Amino acid sequence: MIEVILQRLEKFAAEAGTKAVQLRKGETIIEIDQNNLKNLVSRLVKDAGIRHLSTITGLDLGQNIGIIYHFWRERETIHLKTLVPKAKPTAVSIVDIVPGAILYEMEVHDMLGITFEGHPWMDKKLLLPDNWPTDLPPPLLKTSKPAEIRKRLQLEVERK
Amino acid sequence: MSLENSTPIHREESAGLMKYSAENLVPFGPIHPALKEPEYFKLILEGERIIEVVPRIGYVHRGLEKAAEMRPWVQNMYMFERTCGICSFVHSLTYGQAVEGLTMYEVPRRAKFIRTIIAELERIHSHLLWVGLMGHWAGFETLFMWVWRDREIVLDLVEAISGNRIHKSMNAICGVRRDMPENMEDRIIERMKFLVDRANYYKEIVDTEETMLERTEDIGRTSADTAEKLCAVGPMARYVGLQRDIRLNDPYAAYDEVPFDIVTSNKGDVHALLKLRLDEMIVSANMVSYAMKHLPDGPIRVKIPPVIPAGEHSSHSEAPRGEIFYYVKSGGGRTPERVKSRQPTMANLPTALEILKGQTIADVPVVLTAIDPCFGCMDRMSFLDTETNQHWTWSGEELRQYGINYYFPERKKKR
Repeated sequence: MIEVILQRLEKFAAEAGTKAVQLRKGETIIEIDQNNLKNLVSRLVKDAGIRHLSTITGLDLGQNIGIIYHFWRERETIHLKTLVPKAKPTAVSIVDIVPGAILYEMEVHDMLGITFEGHPWMDKKLLLPDNWPTDLPPPLLKTSKPAEIRKRLQLEVERK
Repeated sequence: MSLENSTPIHREESAGLMKYSAENLVPFGPIHPALKEPEYFKLILEGERIIEVVPRIGYVHRGLEKAAEMRPWVQNMYMFERTCGICSFVHSLTYGQAVEGLTMYEVPRRAKFIRTIIAELERIHSHLLWVGLMGHWAGFETLFMWVWRDREIVLDLVEAISGNRIHKSMNAICGVRRDMPENMEDRIIERMKFLVDRANYYKEIVDTEETMLERTEDIGRTSADTAEKLCAVGPMARYVGLQRDIRLNDPYAAYDEVPFDIVTSNKGDVHALLKLRLDEMIVSANMVSYAMKHLPDGPIRVKIPPVIPAGEHSSHSEAPRGEIFYYVKSGGGRTPERVKSRQPTMANLPTALEILKGQTIADVPVVLTAIDPCFGCMDRMSFLDTETNQHWTWSGEELRQYGINYYFPERKKKR
């Protein structure tokens, strides 16, 4: 069963112009660009039967922000990794294919400042406080310092 | 989730409330100091029925992921254990597994068995806590008292093994910190037998007692298709018939050596959830007894250097409430570059919102408790009648009483 899934994954990845790399036993990573992401996700869900998305991780990688979609089925975990430049932090939303991603995308939006195009609740906050200053960098970027955040939020409270 | 129509906030903000006089807006939450997860839900009602729910979480967001980037690998293990006050062990277990995948060391077999025993004891205690809360919110206080008394048995055993009742701090990277004390086998097996008897008795009660049947049957219904689409995990996926249990799908610790049956149900209501959790308790108690009888000898821990090799790895495991997921990335230093942790409540929230639609206010406490035993934002519920512009607030106790009176009006008269 797993072999069939893996073969299909390799085929899908090849069609999208990339390749599936096995990190270790039971863990595969596919690096994919933004344009092909939605197509690959819908093939995973519809054709390969990998319907469960565990979560979406956002990473600060210097010039870029990495977004990793963690899918799994049985003993195989599949990471789809895509890069978004910090200069233009917009990504495509997969909520219409995987409705369960709705809160995970909001979390990445809050924590790393990425806007997901096509997400219905992108104007709302999920985790950050309502009085989060707009000029403060998103908290999970490496440039963001906890002491600074604490100081600014304290100022916001005092201003009230 | 009907995503196309999910813009109630605009309805409320742009049009003013008076325009939609048939709809009531009920802010639900956010803070309850006694429980660990304050959440806020904006409920839009039509008469008594809920038609739309908008979530807002993050009131107790502590920035653990950011804090993890500044702490050594070992310290992070005990910090992540403090994510939850009920299922604490499984957090350090999953984080540990993710880190262990990056090292070259193998966890000793005895440590794997001890991890399994503690994880299953934790599952029993978490499920018991939930069954008690369910009795409380449904208006069956006796069940709450009985079940929480039995929960003490598990907590005593955990204390005898680890020295602590809740935050066990048992895990280390590549092993466990404390060995199983001697002469524990007979005591644990005897206690597990007692718990199995009690669980069977509670199953009989929830099947026959009118209070429980009235409050739980046909409430909180959803379909397998919805749960799968919304990526539900744990009991919330199993109560509609999905075979989703990480212990079985992707065994970790000693779950490939300890035999057990996955418990699922096709009924898909709160009553099915009650029975499913009680059944799981019985399965877990038998697993603990089996693991104690077959506990292998050997070392419990491998010492590892403080520097973890560069790489990235993820791990998931089955907490009492569902799948817990950790992703770690190491740059080859003494601290991680990134740790991502995802808790089961976050995964089950979209399903919860979907189930709430179409329920009545009287069912909100029961449905929300059914979804997640950690849920605790019912202590302040504020009401706004859009026709008369009256505003009033109910405490959690008043809401509970409203729910009971709604179903059992004769009790109100007696009092």
